[in-house]
Formats: sequence, structure tokens, C-alpha cells
Amino acid sequence: MEPNPHHVPLGITLLFTALLTAMIIALALEEKLHARKSVIVGVFAIGCLLLGSALGLMPFGDIILPGGHQLHMPIYIEAVDWEVIAIIVGSSLFVDVTLRSGLFSWVAIKLTKASAGDPLKLLWYYGVMTVMFSAALNNVTAMIIVGSLSVVSLERLERHHLLLGFLLIEGLLTNIGGLLTLISSVPNIIVGNAASIGFVEFFLKSSPYVLVATVFTLWLGARLFGIHGLRDEAERTKATTLVAGFDENDGIHSRGFFRFAAFALVAFILAIATTSITPVVRDLGMGFVAMGFAVMMLIRYKSEADQFFKAVDWDLILFFMSLFVVINVMEHAEVLTLIGSGVRWLIGAGQSVGGVASLLLSSALFSSVTDNIPLAAMLAKILAAQQIPGESSLWWAVVFGANLGGNITPIGSASTLVAVTLIHKHGLSLSFGGFVRKAAPYALAQIALAVGYVLVVL
Amino acid sequence: MPRIDQVESVFRSAVRDIFIYQRVRFQRILVLTDLDVDKATGFGAACRAFLSNDDGGDSAEWRTLHGDEFNGIDGMLGQIEQQRPDLICTYRNLHSRAWRYPHSLGMYLDVLLQDIDTPVLVMPHPEANYAAEHALRDRDTVMVVTDHLNGQHQLVNHGAALTEAGGSLILSHIEDERIFERYIEAIGKIDTIDTDNARERLRHQLLKEPSNYIASCIARLAAADVELSVEALVTFGRHLPEYKSLIRSRHIDLLVMNAKDDDQLAMHGLAYPLAVELRQIPLLVL
Repeated sequence: MEPNPHHVPLGITLLFTALLTAMIIALALEEKLHARKSVIVGVFAIGCLLLGSALGLMPFGDIILPGGHQLHMPIYIEAVDWEVIAIIVGSSLFVDVTLRSGLFSWVAIKLTKASAGDPLKLLWYYGVMTVMFSAALNNVTAMIIVGSLSVVSLERLERHHLLLGFLLIEGLLTNIGGLLTLISSVPNIIVGNAASIGFVEFFLKSSPYVLVATVFTLWLGARLFGIHGLRDEAERTKATTLVAGFDENDGIHSRGFFRFAAFALVAFILAIATTSITPVVRDLGMGFVAMGFAVMMLIRYKSEADQFFKAVDWDLILFFMSLFVVINVMEHAEVLTLIGSGVRWLIGAGQSVGGVASLLLSSALFSSVTDNIPLAAMLAKILAAQQIPGESSLWWAVVFGANLGGNITPIGSASTLVAVTLIHKHGLSLSFGGFVRKAAPYALAQIALAVGYVLVVL
Repeated sequence: MPRIDQVESVFRSAVRDIFIYQRVRFQRILVLTDLDVDKATGFGAACRAFLSNDDGGDSAEWRTLHGDEFNGIDGMLGQIEQQRPDLICTYRNLHSRAWRYPHSLGMYLDVLLQDIDTPVLVMPHPEANYAAEHALRDRDTVMVVTDHLNGQHQLVNHGAALTEAGGSLILSHIEDERIFERYIEAIGKIDTIDTDNARERLRHQLLKEPSNYIASCIARLAAADVELSVEALVTFGRHLPEYKSLIRSRHIDLLVMNAKDDDQLAMHGLAYPLAVELRQIPLLVL
């Protein structure tokens, strides 16, 4: 993309800033507007692109490929970060097909049985499983799997009264697990790509925090929700009998495919982890790896692959594509430069303690009321434009803030929204304010811990 | 991206009802008749012969009431309260000639089956001659009858207790074909549900649950060294014709069924027509 050679009048920049603000407010009010994210951002993308073109902000023209080839490409195509789209589509297809193998339900039920029906053990096992699934899959899928299992197993154990605590704690842990690897959440992918942080480096730097935050959240959750172990032999015998009724093999329709899926999952994580150092693959990128594994898994269901394509979250994909277009227009309207100057003021010169902490806290606050993806995409662009080096803790401030902000309100992240959906679906009442009150001790402690960790360790 | 409902279904499908074996013993058996003393004694002896060699039957304390020993339903309930039996043996249409018409159970049996928790062995009427040729000779083929076998531990335990050593216990679960077809017809009119897929998956799921439960019955009864062979009969069909045909073809000696329904005062939907019409052999009604 060629840089805009023209100076943009301040009035136009402010006009587009207002449009960006309106879009963010509309996203925050998604539920009230009864509109999907893709439609909201799609409308703004079309409006911004038309207005930007009419005002002469957009740099039309052919693009030059390596080797000198000229290629005509619509501006709304080149604005999209296709690597991110390929990672999301590939990963979600891979996870959907792997889910059909019965692998995740097998792991989940094995852990349930290992708990012998003890609620406290169950909370710890499910908590750790939430973090691991969030890290290996994505936080929404992790919440759906572990949340659904919690509903069924607590119902089976006749402990429905503990469901609210379980679902809330699991929802909060999805955002902790989302910090574990580069592919665990979309902000990680966006910021990691922009800062050239590799998979292994990301994991090594984030895992100590994830470990401490997970243990703390589970400990506090057990105390605040009164989740205790079984008290006597009669309770233990009853619980053991009830969990023995779970059959971990029920979802496995083919042993061969089950083993293949287990092998493929390990291979997928290894391939993603080593993309940046594997010859040939490093040039093709993580998107290629994700799509490659998705196609490999689809061979098992080659005659009904279209069913999996239908299950792809097109709302999310079209949301991303539209969002990239909006951000591209904002870049040309110098809105990002304007916000960048605000961010520069916020972080101050160099990497001051106050600057890093302010960036993390404001990222968390912002992502608690609206989607953390536009925030991550915008801040990644701004930090990249300011040539902040990849090893700077400012990138980590964005990563931690964008992920943990989701724990402040129920609309802060898609996975906490899934947790609240499950809570309401099963007849429990939890208002917006109720969620904020119940989640506050965890969210505040996690964010305070993150500030200390980023400042001291990263 | 998986859906919440989709994943919840995966886990719900993985939950099994596991059979819990509990040995059933009848220590006090009450024979309830409307006959005179001699005939009542004869009927009591027939009941005793039918239940001989059962688990506890021979050592049980037997008491036979003849027609003059209780007056009206209150009198019958008073006697039961006094005797506190583990099992009651009786027949249809007590103190009535309505047994000649195969359309009812009679008011005594109606109340008995709903008002008290004691299992009732309903024998063919002693004065009628509609008992099947093979009836009352032995108990080597006993069938548990229900349209919802899952979790019916008591039903299976009673069936196992009344099957002779080395005999066959048939655990049956018949899904009503006509009800199923009515739902499929309704599904066929809903454009968002694939009818063929719904038919196949629903049929499979409805038969899978009782089959899994029967598998756990087989395993637990074997582990408890109960000497009998368990057969599964899980299918779609129409209850009455299927059971009538099975009684004839398999020479079923005893049917075991539930009569109570927590949601209503009247008899459980399937039990009443079976109890009225299957008069040829004894029924144990819980």
C-alpha cells in the first residue's frame, strides 16, 4: 500500500474519528441493536470507503508484486490482512473436524471421572482444561466445550446450585488461557504478527503469568462461591457412582480417526510453533499451516465437507474483513496518526513505567466495553508506525490489556458472552451489573498482577 | 465454530444410566381373594407353587385372606396395613362377576395398584379358564415390560428375583411406532430440520439408551452371580400386539411392569391396557 502523499485537513480527520467512535459505540451496543458484528462493521466499511474515495484520501492504482509484475486489485481486497483470515478459517475448520473425532469430549469426560465427582476437584480440573483448550483451540470453543460439560456433569451430580460459579470462573479463565500462545486469541495473532513475536517466544513469556493467574483465579473462585470437596464416605460413594455413568467413548465413532485426530492436534500445535523456523513453511506462513491442516482433516469427511464450511463463523470472518477495510481508511484519513499522538502522550518518551502501565490499563478498560480486536488492530498499527521494537514491553501491555479487559464486563469478550449465555440458558439470573460485581475481584487482581508482570518480567 | 447446543448434546449422549443391583426378597406374602375358605386355600396353594424356589418364597410367611375376611376397599386396605406384606397375590375383579368380560381390573385392584407401594402379583382369575396353556407351571421366562427402561432398577431387580435359576430374563423396551411416526410427520413440515436425518438419528438415539442400560444390567447381574441369562428386546412397534405375540411365541411365564405414574393418580399410560388385556399369564405390577 502506498502512503498517502497528501496532507489531510484536520476537519476530515476528525470526521473519520467520529465515524470510528460511532462504530465502536455501535459494537458495544451490538445486543441492543440486534445486529451482528459483521453487519455493523460492514456498513461502516462501505460508508468509510465511499467517503474516503470521494474525498480523495484513498490511493488507487496497481500494486507491484515481487518480480516486478503489476496487479490490479480492488482497494478493499488489499486492505485485508489475509494471513489473519487464513489462520482463523483454517483453525476453526481444523477444530470443528477434530471435534467430530470425539477427542475433546474424551479428554473432558476422562477428567470428570478422574475427579470422582468431587466438586472442588472438578473445578480445578475444568479450570485447567479451560485454560489448555483456550490456548490450543480458541477461547470461545473452549468455553462452549467446558461450559457444556459443566452443565451436564453438575446436573448429573445433582449440584446445579454450583453452576453459576463454575461457568463464571471458566469464562474468566478463557481469557487467561487466551494469553498462553500466539494463536490462542485474535489480538495475540494481530499483535504478534505486527511485532514479529514468534510462537515459542510468546509462550515462554506469557506462560508464567498464565500459571499464577490460573491458580489464583481457581483458589479465589472456590472460596467466593463456596465450592468444597465431598465431606463423607456416603457423598463420595454416591458421586463416584454418578460419574461412572459417563462414557468417554460415546462420541468416538471411529477409533482410527480418533487416534489420527490426536496425532494431528499435536502435529498442528508443533507446526504452528515452528512455522517461523521451518524452511519453506516460514515463507508460506501460519495461515498456510492452519489451512493445510484443515484440508488434511477434511479428507476424512470429504463427501460432506460442505457441512463444515456452513459451520464456519462467517459473522466473525466478515467482521474481520470489514474491520481491516475500516482501519485502512482510518490510516489514510490520518485518524491513526491522531490516536497515535494520544498514545505517544499516554506512554510518554521511551518505555516509562507509567507509560506501559497506562497503556495496559487503558487497553483493558477499552476492551471491557467493546471488541478487543479493533483495539488490538489499531494499536498494533500505531505502535508499528512508531517503529516500537518487537522486544518492547509496550506490545505486551496491549496483549495483556486486550485479553484481560474481557473479564471486566460480560460483553468484554466473546467467551464471557458464551458463559453468560449458558448461565441464562440454564435458568440462572445474572445481570450486567451482577457480572461486573462478581467478576471484579478476579479481574482487578488479574490486571494488577499483569501490570506488575509486564513491568518487572517482560 | 461448534454451537452450545451441539456440544451439550455430545455430553448428554455420553451419560449412561447404570443399573444398580439390589437383591429382592419377599418375606411376608399376602394372598387376597374373594373366595370361600376352601377355594381361597386352593388359590393360595397355586400362588405358593408358582412362587416356589424363588428367592425367599419358600421361607416366606404366607397369609391367605378369603372373601369374608374383608369388607369393601377400606377393609382391604386395613388388612394390608395390619399385615404389612412384601408382596400381594390376587386377581382381577374381586367381589364381582365382571371377570367374565375382559374390560376392567375391578375397583379393588384399581385402588390396590395405585394406593399402596407393595408389589402386586396379578394372577389369572381362578374361576376363569383363560390362562395360557404354559401359564403357572414355572418361571423360566420372565419379561420386564416398559416403554422407558432406562433407570428402572426396581423393575429389573424384581424381574431378576422372580426368574428361576438358569432361566431367561427378557428386558423389553418397545417404542411406540405410531407416536414416532406422528413426530416425524410434524418434523417433515418444518423446513429447518432435515427429515431423513431426524428420522435416522432419533430412531438410533431412542433405541441406544435402553440398549446401553440393558448392557449395564447384564454386566451387573453377572458380577453379582445371579444365575440367569438376560435377553434384550429393544425395538419399535405397537405394545399390545407385540406383547401378545411374544407371550405366545416365547411362552412367557410372567410379565413385570410399572403401574404408578408420579404425575397422575390414574395408572401409568401403558400399564392399564396391558393389565386389562394380558390375562393369560401372571403379571407382577410395581
